[in-house]
Parts: sequence; structure tokens; C-alpha cells
Amino acid sequence: MPDQPQDAPVSLQVFRYSADSDRLEAIIGDVGADLPREDLIARARESLEHETFMCYTVSEPDTLVADELCFVPQGDRCDVISISTSGWQRHHGDHRRSLVEILNNLAAAVACGKLRILDREEVRDQAAAGAEVLHFDIATTADLQQARDAVDEVLREAGLDDINQQRTILCISEAATNMLLHGGGRGEMTLRRLDDRIRVVVADQGSGLSFLNWIEPPAKGGQASMGYGYKIILDYLDAVGLHTGPSGTTLLLDRMTD
Amino acid sequence: MLRTSIAQGPAPTIYLAGEMDLDCADTLREVVTEAARGAQMIALDFGDVAFIDSSGTGIFVRLCLDLKSQGTPLVARNLSPAVRGVFEMLRVRDLVGDDVFPD
Repeated sequence: MPDQPQDAPVSLQVFRYSADSDRLEAIIGDVGADLPREDLIARARESLEHETFMCYTVSEPDTLVADELCFVPQGDRCDVISISTSGWQRHHGDHRRSLVEILNNLAAAVACGKLRILDREEVRDQAAAGAEVLHFDIATTADLQQARDAVDEVLREAGLDDINQQRTILCISEAATNMLLHGGGRGEMTLRRLDDRIRVVVADQGSGLSFLNWIEPPAKGGQASMGYGYKIILDYLDAVGLHTGPSGTTLLLDRMTD
Repeated sequence: MLRTSIAQGPAPTIYLAGEMDLDCADTLREVVTEAARGAQMIALDFGDVAFIDSSGTGIFVRLCLDLKSQGTPLVARNLSPAVRGVFEMLRVRDLVGDDVFPD
């Protein structure tokens, strides 16, 4: 993860094995020198061969360190999700979600196809698909409220029922709030119309999604994140794309319209 | 934007209207803190809340837990459909306790 100290209590990395090129590349995080590359490639091949989701947990009781590795086959490539955590940081002891719960939620969403982890080229193409309908610069909660109202109107015109319309508005609010709190404090929201869906693109130029800041209370209002934003987004939308790195984070939030 | 009005008394009711998002933290905390002075309990009426997200929910949960620890119970009444849906999804009842939802 960008700007993440090595003794971080938790980290998420995503690698991608491509069968065509027989290569393993980092999509989120870095391919470190100590990564057991050959072992990961062997298991990714196995996952692709059997077309099966595979998950391994490696824990060290003495140090409370645990690693979880999930292999998600996707046609000719396999996404490898790596979650590392120190056991003592697994829960805050209050009402917020534990970091491991949050990360497992993300891994499960990738496994079931709801969440696509995108590399730089994929996000560039998919964030430009269809026709732009609305665009907002978001730097304050007032900007976000204006954007919610405008998106609401487009969703109504598109014929979404009340439940899906309310849930979509909730999800874009969660994504933009994350951007305000953790993504450098400002960014852009674009609503695009594709043939079969409405896509809201929420993009910032912050330092990348760092799960560490989810356990630190942000200064504004003294209110700590509960860690539920991504759960809402993944539960309530039809499809989600995520790209994150040192030069920013982009979320593609899709609501089907047919 | 969140708007508030209050029915005074030994158990004051604070009527909430509008939107509860990241922006409502200061407003809500101020009005609840003011109302809590000398009160036996406080009721929040969510009937006119048209929108709430996880930030607004988090602020409510934090207030509930803070007031409970100070000995002034807070109850939530008349949840609008938008609030009910988000509270159920986020399992707010499990976080703050059944006694917060007497209805």
C-alpha cells in the first residue's frame, strides 16, 4: 500500500497472474522482493486449471500475524488477494468494523464477481465508457449534497424504482464521503450513461486507498469512520470497479437500468 | 443539511429533518448536548429525515453510546423509511441496544 509503514497492522495487496504472459503483476501494492512469486504462480495456475476459488490462511500464533491469500480465477487470468494483519489489531473493541472484516468483505466481493479490481488501463477505458451526463468537482459536503440532488433527478428520469434510486444515492454519498475524508479531501464525480447501466465515477488524486486511515479518527467532527462505506457500496450496487495507487483512487459505481 | 427543532420538558424530543451526512455532526452534537442538560432522557424523532448515510449513522451511534455512559438514555422514534433501511443494514440495534428503539 502507498505510504504504508512496514509494521502496518493490516494491509491489502492484489496481484494478477496472466496465463497468456505467465506473469504476476501487482494491481494494488507492490511485488516485493520477499514475495513467494513461484508459489503464488503455481497456485494461481491451479486455480485457473480447476476454475475454482481458493483461499489459504497462514497464521503465526506467537506473533499474532496472519496472512490470508485468495485466488480468484477469471478466465485467462487469476486475481490474487493478499490480506496481512497483526492479530492484536483485529478489532477496535467498539462499534467500528474490524479491519479484517472489511478486507474479507472486499475479497469476497471480488470472488463473487461484484467487485472488479482494475489496473491503470482498465480504469482509464471503463471510466470513459458511454456518454457523460453530469460532472461535479467535490470539495465540501455542500458540493456533495448538490451532486446527490442532481444525480437523484437523472436516476428518476431513467426510471429506477424508489428503492434502487435511494440505494444508488446512498452509495455515491458513501464513495464521495470517503474521498473527502481519506482521498485528499477533494475529487470529481461524473455520471455516465451506458447502454445497459448508469455509471457514477468517483475519482480523487489522493495518496491511494490506505486501510490504516480507517482506524484513525479524521479531524473533521472528531468522527471515526465506522468502516461501513464499502459494505454499503458492495451490497447495494450491481457492479463496482476499483483502482487505487499512489496517484489516486477511482471507483466505478454501476446501476443496471434494463 | 440537517434541521432540528425541540419540544422541551423533562424528556425533551428533538425533531430531525433533512439530510444526515458528514455535515450533521456538529449540529446534532450541539443540540443533543444542550437538550441533555438536566434531562432524564432524550428522544430523537427521525420522521422527516429524507437521507442518512453511514457517516450520519456513525454520529448517531456515537451520541447514543456517549449519552448512555453519562446516564441519560437516548431513544429513537418514528424512523423514516430511509433511516429504517440504513439502520437495519448497518445493524444499529445491535450496536446501541434494543432499548434505544422502544417502538
